[in-house]
Amino acid sequence: MDAPPVPDSVALIEARGLTKTFGNHVAVDGISFEVRRGEAFGFLGPNGAGKTSTMKMIGCTSPPGGGALRVIGMDPIAQASEIKRRIGVVPQTDNLDIELTVRENLEMYGRYFDVPREVAAARIDELIEFVQLSEKMTSRVEPLSGGMKRRLTIARALVNQPDLLLLDEPTTGLDPQARHLVWDRLYRLKQRGVTLVITTHYMDEAEQLCDRLVVMDKAKIVAEGSPRELITRHSTREVVELRLADDARDQLSASIDGLVDRVEWLPDRVLLYTETGDGILTEIHDRGVRTDSALVRRGTLEDVFLTITGRSLIE
Amino acid sequence: MSAGKIVRRNSLVYWRAWRTSFFLSVLGPVMFLSAMGLGLGSLIEEEQAFGGVSYLSFFATGMLAASTFQSGAFSATYPIMNKMMWQRNYDAMLASPVGVRDIFLGELGWIGVTLLQLAVPFFGVMAVFGVVDSPMALLAIPAAVLAGLSCASAVFAYTATLQTDEAYTWLFRFIITPLFLLSGTFFPINQLPEWGQVAAHLTPLFHGVELVRQVTVYNVDVSALWHVSYLLAMLAIGTMVGIRNLDRRLRP
Ligand SMILES: Nc1ncnc2c1ncn2[C@@H]1O[C@H](COP(=O)(O)OP(=O)(O)OP(=O)(O)O)[C@@H](O)[C@H]1O
Ligand SMILES: [Mg+2]
Repeated sequence: MDAPPVPDSVALIEARGLTKTFGNHVAVDGISFEVRRGEAFGFLGPNGAGKTSTMKMIGCTSPPGGGALRVIGMDPIAQASEIKRRIGVVPQTDNLDIELTVRENLEMYGRYFDVPREVAAARIDELIEFVQLSEKMTSRVEPLSGGMKRRLTIARALVNQPDLLLLDEPTTGLDPQARHLVWDRLYRLKQRGVTLVITTHYMDEAEQLCDRLVVMDKAKIVAEGSPRELITRHSTREVVELRLADDARDQLSASIDGLVDRVEWLPDRVLLYTETGDGILTEIHDRGVRTDSALVRRGTLEDVFLTITGRSLIE
Repeated sequence: MSAGKIVRRNSLVYWRAWRTSFFLSVLGPVMFLSAMGLGLGSLIEEEQAFGGVSYLSFFATGMLAASTFQSGAFSATYPIMNKMMWQRNYDAMLASPVGVRDIFLGELGWIGVTLLQLAVPFFGVMAVFGVVDSPMALLAIPAAVLAGLSCASAVFAYTATLQTDEAYTWLFRFIITPLFLLSGTFFPINQLPEWGQVAAHLTPLFHGVELVRQVTVYNVDVSALWHVSYLLAMLAIGTMVGIRNLDRRLRP
């Protein structure tokens, strides 16, 4: 039985003060956010930030510990099964049925969702095509590459034609080529109107895929906005990365005052936050600071995270 | 109710190897009954000690219950742990409308099917060896399956609490194997000291063995009701506790 359609105006996910504790360890500490229909929403944060715990509460496989949560307008405890019918889940670690073939994995999952057989058969053909596994259709899952397994997991999450797709670190551990393929497929899903919720600790992934995101750290949301907004608000348009000998560091520190918005002294390099990277670099060189290497780049979400928490995203 | 889907999933995997496993479930009883029943049995003329039946009959009936019992125990260890924490198949199932109850009951249902696949050939071999002759004896099959299932439900409930498989060595060495040896499978429990007999009466396998013997080679009396009740109660408690444990485990 299908749940009633949800009006477009209603947020697909709505969390207010959402909390999760394990024993006396607080994994998610009173976070609030809203995911709107059709958008790609991200949770960016380092290991242990509470991303997976949050995703599991949204996916109704872990009961919320406190606060309010609505998913597709429904209650994740009382209406867990109806919610699950309308969402797809790509977990952090693949949990494919390695004793079954690629196709059987999808068929079995279709059965779990009560998709009628003939409907499932046609849909599975399409999905296998979509994730480019046609050649592996009858292969067992075990020998597939990491990228293939990930794509199969994504196909499996689509077997019930979900309105909402939850992806927990969809590309962690994949090589660049495999990552781009996954990104491309996710982009297409979004074009088709599927709402995506993605966790990641890669800022480039968040920038590529997310319309809006929250930055999580130590169980809390520490920033929220579109990637551009976050960079504008918490970082600068450009960043100059310098590698310096010790005496050059002292020299820089003496002459940098007032020149840039902010300076970050990291053990291996120095970051200068500014709107005009090239101009600053010329200015520094004019003042006689000798740099071992210098790079002007755009501000990134990594810089945002560093600014807010004083630590880098990937330890 | 989605438990049937879990049974189907398991049967699909099992189907690939059914020949081997059918072969083994015939070979096992043939070997046991030949060696122990006929071989050892030929040296034992005394039938009084075995309730007025041959040692072959005594042993075969005990062994039927003990086999399903052990198989039920084993089925609820590694295969379940594998799907619960190594492959994480249950997490995948739970992301669908399939629930924890469905998983538990579906797995138990499947174990029931495998126990049937064990008990039926075993019964066939017993018939060939001339141990059973009445239609009533067919009840030995459900009796043996019930014994196996009640054990499986309890072991499953235990598995749901484990973080590693280390405990299984202990489970088999100190619980399952002693039960196998001391529940009246190989020799009547009245050979045990007084306290041993009392203990035997508390063990599930004893009730399974007694039940199988009553419907096959002994006469059925009212104690059968008690044996059935004991096993059903164990199955019910194992299932209730098991579902609760599995829920805590899979939905933290
Ligand atoms: N079932 C559990 N029992 C106890 N503690 C848990 C459990 N699940 C998560 N935690 C703890 O909660 C915190 C948040 O974990 P979570 O998995 O949500 O983080 P994450 O942001 O997904 O991290 P990662 O990037 O490493 O996947 C961690 O400290 C983790 O150890
Ligand atoms: Mg995680």
